[in-house]
Amino acid sequence: MNDFWIALAGMAGITFSCRYLFFSNTVSFKLGPKVSRLLSYTAPSVMTAMWVPIVFLGHQDSGGDFITSPFLIAGVATLIFSLLIKNTLAVVIFGMSIFALLQVIF
Amino acid sequence: MPSKTVVADESISSDFQTMKQAVIAIFPLSLAVVPWGILCGSLAITVGLTPLQAQLMSLLIFAGAAQLAALSMMGAVGSLSSMFSSTFVISSRHLLYSAVFREHVRNSSFGLRCSIAFFLTDEMFAVTCAYIVRNKRFSPVYALSSGITFYVIWNISTFAGIVAGQHIPNLEHLGLEFAIAATFIAIVIPLVKNRSTLVSVVTSGLSAIILSVFMAEYALIAATFIGMVCGYLTKDKESINE
Repeated sequence: MNDFWIALAGMAGITFSCRYLFFSNTVSFKLGPKVSRLLSYTAPSVMTAMWVPIVFLGHQDSGGDFITSPFLIAGVATLIFSLLIKNTLAVVIFGMSIFALLQVIF
Repeated sequence: MPSKTVVADESISSDFQTMKQAVIAIFPLSLAVVPWGILCGSLAITVGLTPLQAQLMSLLIFAGAAQLAALSMMGAVGSLSSMFSSTFVISSRHLLYSAVFREHVRNSSFGLRCSIAFFLTDEMFAVTCAYIVRNKRFSPVYALSSGITFYVIWNISTFAGIVAGQHIPNLEHLGLEFAIAATFIAIVIPLVKNRSTLVSVVTSGLSAIILSVFMAEYALIAATFIGMVCGYLTKDKESINE
């Protein structure tokens, strides 16, 4: 990756700017209720757009079947567990354990 | 002046109490990102970065989702422009956090504002907002303590991933990326409290699958944007009644 240092500087600049923008005294505008509402959907949307392909397309890289894919089974199990239990850490540990177990079985 | 010393001691010890509360509050959330940090470190080695470059990503960018998205692009088709635009879309939620804290930090020094901004993450925002609700005031000590705790654990787990990535070949085949899926499921599902968020999550998930088939490079950004707009356009029951 030849452009690594440019990528690093650019990404660090972008993440910091997003966090700092409204702390700046030179920025006088405020976020309107409409923009705030639009941005409030960013976190759930971006995270879902990242986990859904892992769970539903994860079998493609390993060359396995869709139905017996550990990604799919453990993903659906984690999803169901997250509906029942609100403790984030417990859900993550449960999901990882199911996945590890399935890796051993298949 | 004994009385002055007592006052100073009290404020130091109350700061210390605040720090302790902050560390305790953010600790479970920090543990949940450990597999994710390990993944960031090992994936960076897998795509060909040096250990120093890998650690610098966590030290300077300090944004798990953006780092992982960029790493998966470095390993595949990524151009700088796709990396930067996905970083911006993923980080744009921080604009909202920044706007929420604005009134609390506006009169602070430049250095303090920069520090709070640098350590502003989803997790730090969540615990600091809970602190504001409980105590009816913002605390820079609380925000920084929770943010720095999270930063340290994030970088230690990245380091662990770098070491593992160098010594365990084919670590990525262990399916560590499932840790991302599990973490995001655990964070997202409790956020789905109304119809519009449900619509936003379902549309972004479906678009992510469909789009990744024919435009892998921009699938994440496009799917996120579709999810945001669909959520925005969906009316919740409360607003229908208004």
